[in-house]
Amino acid sequence: MTWGAHQALLPQPCALVIFGAAGDLSWRKLLPAIYNLNVDGELPSNFAVVGFGVGSKGDPDEWIRERAKDGITRFSRRPPDENHFAHFARSLFYVEGSFNDARAYAQLKARLESIDQQFGIPGSRIYYLAVPPNVVGMSVDHLKAAGMVASPSDTRVFTRVIVEKPIGRDLESAKKVIADVDKAFAENQTYRIDHYLGKETVQNLLVIRFANSIFEPLWNKNHVDHVQITVAEEEGLTHRDPKTHEVTGSRIGYYEGVGALRDMVQNHILQVLCLTCMEPPWSLGADVIRDAKSGVLRCLRPLSREDVKTSVVRAQYIAGDINGEEVPGYRHEVREYFASRNQPVPSDSTTETFVAMRLFIDNWRWADVPFYIRTGKRLPKRASEVAIQFKEVPQILFNAHPDIPLEPTVLALRVQPEEGLSLRIASKLPGPKVRIYPVKLEFNYTASYAATTPEAYERLLLDVMAGDATLFMRRDAVEAAWQFVAPILENWENSRERYLPEYRAGTWGPLEADKLIEADGRQWRTL
Amino acid sequence: MIRNSPSKSGLSDPVALKDVERELDRRMFIVQGTGESPILRARMSNLVIYCDRPELANEVANEIAEIVATHPARVLLLLAEPSGEAGDLTATVAVRGRVVDPGRWVCSEFVSLHAKGRAAERLPYAVRSLLIGDLPTNLWWAAPQPPSMAGHLLYDLAEHAQQIIYDSVGWIEPPKVMAATASWLNQFEARPGRVPWRVASDLNWRRLKYWRRILAQTLDPATAPGAAESLSEIMIEHGPHAVIQAWGLAGWMMSRLGWRVQQGHFQEGEEISWQFRSPAGLARLRIRRLPEGTAEVQRVHLNCILQGKPGAFNVELHSDRRISVMPEGVIKAEQRTLTAPVQSRAELISRQLSDRERDPVFHESMAVALILAQRLLGS
Repeated sequence: MTWGAHQALLPQPCALVIFGAAGDLSWRKLLPAIYNLNVDGELPSNFAVVGFGVGSKGDPDEWIRERAKDGITRFSRRPPDENHFAHFARSLFYVEGSFNDARAYAQLKARLESIDQQFGIPGSRIYYLAVPPNVVGMSVDHLKAAGMVASPSDTRVFTRVIVEKPIGRDLESAKKVIADVDKAFAENQTYRIDHYLGKETVQNLLVIRFANSIFEPLWNKNHVDHVQITVAEEEGLTHRDPKTHEVTGSRIGYYEGVGALRDMVQNHILQVLCLTCMEPPWSLGADVIRDAKSGVLRCLRPLSREDVKTSVVRAQYIAGDINGEEVPGYRHEVREYFASRNQPVPSDSTTETFVAMRLFIDNWRWADVPFYIRTGKRLPKRASEVAIQFKEVPQILFNAHPDIPLEPTVLALRVQPEEGLSLRIASKLPGPKVRIYPVKLEFNYTASYAATTPEAYERLLLDVMAGDATLFMRRDAVEAAWQFVAPILENWENSRERYLPEYRAGTWGPLEADKLIEADGRQWRTL
Repeated sequence: MIRNSPSKSGLSDPVALKDVERELDRRMFIVQGTGESPILRARMSNLVIYCDRPELANEVANEIAEIVATHPARVLLLLAEPSGEAGDLTATVAVRGRVVDPGRWVCSEFVSLHAKGRAAERLPYAVRSLLIGDLPTNLWWAAPQPPSMAGHLLYDLAEHAQQIIYDSVGWIEPPKVMAATASWLNQFEARPGRVPWRVASDLNWRRLKYWRRILAQTLDPATAPGAAESLSEIMIEHGPHAVIQAWGLAGWMMSRLGWRVQQGHFQEGEEISWQFRSPAGLARLRIRRLPEGTAEVQRVHLNCILQGKPGAFNVELHSDRRISVMPEGVIKAEQRTLTAPVQSRAELISRQLSDRERDPVFHESMAVALILAQRLLGS
């Protein structure tokens, strides 16, 4: 259990096999994360990384090492150091092969056995499935057929599988993905990853709540007015060269038809909501915490068709301005993407790039406390936070002026870009008059601990090596989250509306989202 | 002791908008130096300043140190030259640090955004991305153009602002601009259907503080019984460029006295006068421009009944920054004085930043100022 440092489990010797190691996730996140763990001395001494998939050029091992170096140079929280990198690269390999080719698995198996000998690895494996959902079942089947999955009861070696989101695109397909993995891996071998849960602030949510005596007594309907969870992204779905404006990368292929609800709300945001709202767990055991989280999902008030109309807003960005650059709208990007691949250009997309919603948790603690959620692409800045807004003080004394209510007390836990928290309180300005002014008390991880915060993937990979599933999603949580969003998806899919509300890139979303919260006498926070 | 981040002006070379925060962080560390105690990044609010000319932006930039010394804020200084050549939006940043206690540095952040041509339309986007959340936002509309005539750019910039500060000194076409401003105030502050409140504040109103105080004391029934009720003529004299200030004072006096305007007369650059129905019968208020003097109200003359006889109060600003009140037609009258210290624009701004309450007296005065304007405009 790694929540309590004194009880921390150690990462165990193993080989980490990355399926789809030629892809973006591996290049941007996984390889830099493993490199940092290596530099920090966190990895087991008997450890190797093996990439698996197609796309290598020349010598596969050299290719993945170059690719890793490039990814580390661009995206790592620390630049590559020649000595460290040379050490790291020695244990980095690549096996070229198709996910649907049994011979490739045989080659992979043979290579792993050879690496086991080379590095003294006892045969334990972690398979990181950084592949599209439709490849998951096929990969698992082949792993099982090739005899590459140890029994969960084997105490000598372990096999664990990491499944990336999206886990399905609705409840039915999620159940299928889960069942596909189930064919070869037991639940305690399966780690459904949501990298948001690896972020320090998200983990700190529980520490804030349960390691301080002042917050938990206030953490309920009696004191909390409402909660806002925001995941704002500056990026759109297409990356362009800032000088030539030529497209350098695109996520349209993945995103079109998926949208913000599936991409962000169903997983990241609902998981964060669970940590924010769960009942105190009786221990830090993985299943105890996961039980507490599931309890929140089970209490989410189901949305009726009418609720979807009144409590959920979806929208799409149109052309606007980000960081002083004009950027195109989403539909333009979709047309551009498919046309550039000589694929049929879909009729005008109704994929949402923004979602705002109001939801309720029907339990004793949170009865009738609204939770406002918003997430979107091409918003003015990258900023994610959970903000607990406490109830106003009575309208007497300092809050007696009807026109100018005091700014309420807000505890904001910032997930990105700078992890930390702030508490906004009211204070008197110096001077003879009593003038109240909001004061923001801030805590910033980087500034306070004078070190760069480990990336979420670093923490999560270590947890898998240590066998700690606390920060991973259990199947019941995945299914409950899909169950909650199902009426929204159904409503939208049956809708005949061709045009979604729009917002200019570089603004905080559509007017409809403002109306949603302002109808309750509240407003979105300025981030 | 004051310490600037590198370069003579303290300003960086142009940086990409996306790198502004990073550059501010970097400069913060430079200001801190090595081996010293942590710096305090002081910011009570976001202060967005809008300028429409480079000279004005330079003038304002020189006042910022004084403003943030009283009211630490993240300052976003916007310079829009809509008529300039089409160009990009460029950003420069600076960090200024000063020692408050031995070893304790307090730093403030300054971002300057310069937009030419159509790039001015992109300023609101840049502002959104640079505001610090959870802090009040103030927009100082430093351009000479009245905010009521500024169009959508002001509304876009004020999107998240709790207060807009403007300065009516020097405005021209007084009846038109007063009518427009008074109407705009209600619309701007009300934001129909929207939850957030916001206020608009005129620095000229703040400048009138001492005048309002001494006039209220002068006409107080406890010190001059019956004077206010018996007022028959009020004359406000002002220096060049201060007609709006004088009008503001007139609006305030009429709102306090409850006079009902009947008709008005406007002689551009010389005098504006109105006739009223007052408790004493017909009464007159005149605003007269003096050929020289500082751009502020210089004298107020009040004709009334004092001690049962026709008399007057002469209230006058002196060069030593005292406002004196001299009763006329009264035996054994002593001159009374009130100090009206010179307040720089920076000082007025820094005080206004912390003063975000909606001032009902200002609004009542502006409502009367609107009626006065309508009488002149014939509407």
